[in-house]
Amino acid sequence: MAFARFVRLMRRELDGWRLAGLGWAAVLLLPFLFIFSAWFAEPNEQWLQIRAYLLRDYVAGTVRLTVLTGLLTVLLGVPLAWLVAAHDFPLRRFFRWALLLPLAIPPYIAAYTYSNMLSYTGVVQKTLRGLGVEVPQKWLAFGSVRGALFSFVLFLYPYVYLIARSFMERQCASWVENARLLGARPLTVFFRVALPMARPAVAGGVALVVYEVLGDYGVTSYFGVRTLTTGIFQTWFGMYDVESAMRLASWLMAAVVGLFFLERWLRRGRLYHVSGRPRPMASVRLRGPAAALAFAFCFLVFALGFLIPVLQLIAWASLAFGDVWKPQFWRWTLNTVAIAAVAAFAVTAISLVVANVCRRKTALNQLLARWVTAGYAMPGAVIAIGILAVFIELDRLLAPFYAAAGWGGRPLLLSTSVAMLVFGYVIRFTATGYNAVEAGYESIGSRFTESARLLGHGRTRTSFRVEMPLLRGSIAVGFLLTFVEICKELPLALLLRPFNFETLATQTYRYAKDEQIIQAALPSLLVIAVSLLSVAILHMAERRMQR
Amino acid sequence: MKPRKALMAILAGFLLAGLLAACGSGANNGGSGSVSAGGPSADAGGAQTGGQEENRSGGQQGEPVVNIYSARHYEVDDVLFQQFTDATGIKVNVVKGEAEELIERLKREGASTEADLFFTVDGGVLAYAKESGVLEPVTSPVIEENVPARYRDKDNHWIGVSTRARVIVYSKDRVDPSQLSAYEDLADPKWKGKVLARSSSSLYNVSLLASFIALKGEEASEEWAKGVVANFARDPQGGDRDQAKAIVAGIGDVAIMNTYYIGLLAHSKDPEEVKVAERVGIIFPNQETDGTHINISGIGFVKHGKHKDNAVKLIEFLTGKEAQETLTNSNFEFPVNPAAERAEYIRAWGEFKEQELDFDLLHVHNAKAIEIFNKAGWK
Repeated sequence: MAFARFVRLMRRELDGWRLAGLGWAAVLLLPFLFIFSAWFAEPNEQWLQIRAYLLRDYVAGTVRLTVLTGLLTVLLGVPLAWLVAAHDFPLRRFFRWALLLPLAIPPYIAAYTYSNMLSYTGVVQKTLRGLGVEVPQKWLAFGSVRGALFSFVLFLYPYVYLIARSFMERQCASWVENARLLGARPLTVFFRVALPMARPAVAGGVALVVYEVLGDYGVTSYFGVRTLTTGIFQTWFGMYDVESAMRLASWLMAAVVGLFFLERWLRRGRLYHVSGRPRPMASVRLRGPAAALAFAFCFLVFALGFLIPVLQLIAWASLAFGDVWKPQFWRWTLNTVAIAAVAAFAVTAISLVVANVCRRKTALNQLLARWVTAGYAMPGAVIAIGILAVFIELDRLLAPFYAAAGWGGRPLLLSTSVAMLVFGYVIRFTATGYNAVEAGYESIGSRFTESARLLGHGRTRTSFRVEMPLLRGSIAVGFLLTFVEICKELPLALLLRPFNFETLATQTYRYAKDEQIIQAALPSLLVIAVSLLSVAILHMAERRMQR
Repeated sequence: MKPRKALMAILAGFLLAGLLAACGSGANNGGSGSVSAGGPSADAGGAQTGGQEENRSGGQQGEPVVNIYSARHYEVDDVLFQQFTDATGIKVNVVKGEAEELIERLKREGASTEADLFFTVDGGVLAYAKESGVLEPVTSPVIEENVPARYRDKDNHWIGVSTRARVIVYSKDRVDPSQLSAYEDLADPKWKGKVLARSSSSLYNVSLLASFIALKGEEASEEWAKGVVANFARDPQGGDRDQAKAIVAGIGDVAIMNTYYIGLLAHSKDPEEVKVAERVGIIFPNQETDGTHINISGIGFVKHGKHKDNAVKLIEFLTGKEAQETLTNSNFEFPVNPAAERAEYIRAWGEFKEQELDFDLLHVHNAKAIEIFNKAGWK
């Protein structure tokens, strides 16, 4: 009875969760297929030229930039996470969340800000000149790969820091304490216990950083660094060759999926889970020079990554406040918060479903997980074009329905509504929510779920009653990261917004595009303020939960 | 409160705020778009009158509108649109984005598009929009009176609104301006280690080189690009303003820049930037030969636009003397309407000879220009 067996198999495998996961993946298929369709077109002359002269440059530049950024964010983020999670030193409680704040500053704003501060008219040179010191501008040159690395590492490391820290704080306690009791030295505890355990969390964080770097256009084009993404834009905007641009983009996407499988392969066969009740770790009190050093390190990172650029932005914003401020800023802020909240909520829900479905690491599940998150590594503008194409087609299909429903003679309804933009955000930023939730699932392991299922709970009930309470930290982190990410996002907002729809990011862009950094400071600050507020809410929620 | 409840409450709060505002902006959109045809669509807008200042009269029946896709992000554009609305009662709806993306959007929307006008910088881009088949000729005696033929597309698919020149800027302290008079001089080995320029990913540079290809051919243009690259004081980086700052900082002596950035520097809120503008001089190159390269901002007439009359009125308004003077005074671009007076600051530069090129050629030679930049190693 092959048929009966098939039905049984289907009933076991295909519950609502899996169907929902697969359904969403199918929705994503449309814009992604649009991008991959470039492979089937005949390569044109320009593509041959790109392949001959430039592709190697693009790939080399991309690899160099992502590898260096990935390494440096780990070197910065993980030690900070370990310091804060397992030690006590002056102002630790402040740094615990203050070290997240650089995330609120978009790297391209940071790049503009630092370049201007260090330029001839910037505050550094001005002060030095005031003191009668002439420093050759070349010494302060802040350009090219160095500048790009600085902007990425200092403003993206919080991904690694946040995910690693929340993992270490919750999941490592008994191992670390046992190791300490058995006399392991601090460095040994870090390298032999905490770091290996935190590896999935660190990998999740680094993946986000790498994705972000791969998809970036703002920083790399400002510093003239050649990557696949700048190549895509040069092909599209420079040569008006959308097709070759899509072809490059599809290569980029293939590279991302490949990268992920490489990482999985490197840690094949290992299972990560933590038994026992997750609980906070007893921290080691640092004294004397060690405490001073820890404090200095945290403060330096905080100052460079947040304090200095924000103070500079405040100074600029006050110079131009009278010119730039309009009452519409309230409206724009509300737009930003609203659209980010809706999209982040959708991302969190999708992440929970897909991460739940993908806990068993079959090849199909892994592919599903990558498929759903691949949008993050794509330049926003490329995704935007895919989405635009899909929505306009959709509107064409639905046009008779609109007419029947009496919605009048507007042929384009969906693609002139804010729904298109929300959809774009969800496609692009599922990764931030998903990676956090996935790391959460990995850290709680399967024992609670198995017990609940054995005791007769269904999958949905298990999820709501058992897993979600255990995952709430990860869920909150995922939601927050996505929210902040969307507040900062630009290319999707530019292309997919309806008439007269402005966000703080588009307002920042209008000035920054024209190099009016002083005028751009005010909207930038508001983006940062909105992000800050959400970090504060997360912080409060965490405290409540710990009580 | 129980922890999960607390979290749920926060999430729910976010969601609620989001939905509320999303409805608000949905209404905004419904209001602005639905007024298009007047008749049957009005009920969609009227049903959800979004109480918003940007959309002052909500979705009242028959409210006249004109919809623009704009790749210009200048503050003065908003001021002009507002003046237009005040004068005519026609509401201006705008989507601002990148030019190439907006053209792609227009192409895909085809006959369904809600856009009436396409507003952008760069003659090459305008030519590309025309070539993409999204524009059509506009006919208006007023416009033809306002704008001389050389600042319009030859078929009037687009109409120029303002121009800027790409010039040579030099250090007043270290450079004797009589030493250089042409773009070609920048490739002369005597400026080795002294020349500053931004990256070749800037359309301003691409169009400059495209104009050379049109005037002097590929070979000479490639030689020029290679010569300039050999003279670079540093790898290309930053924007146009950064080149002027680098001159004053002593990194290099001469740079390629757009005129209006000098005007903006000189009127900056930052006193240090004003000093930079004071310490550099401007040369309008090639006065004895082909003239100085200029580029143009223009407004294209969208083929499938639904509000053609309003669109024509807006072009007439933007090219009128008054709007042209507002434009030049706040942005330091050159007006296209000869009746309009240039901003006082740029009047001091005097008259200069312009490149007389069909702007279409900037698009024709665009890909070649990028190829040459890549070959020459101009990052």
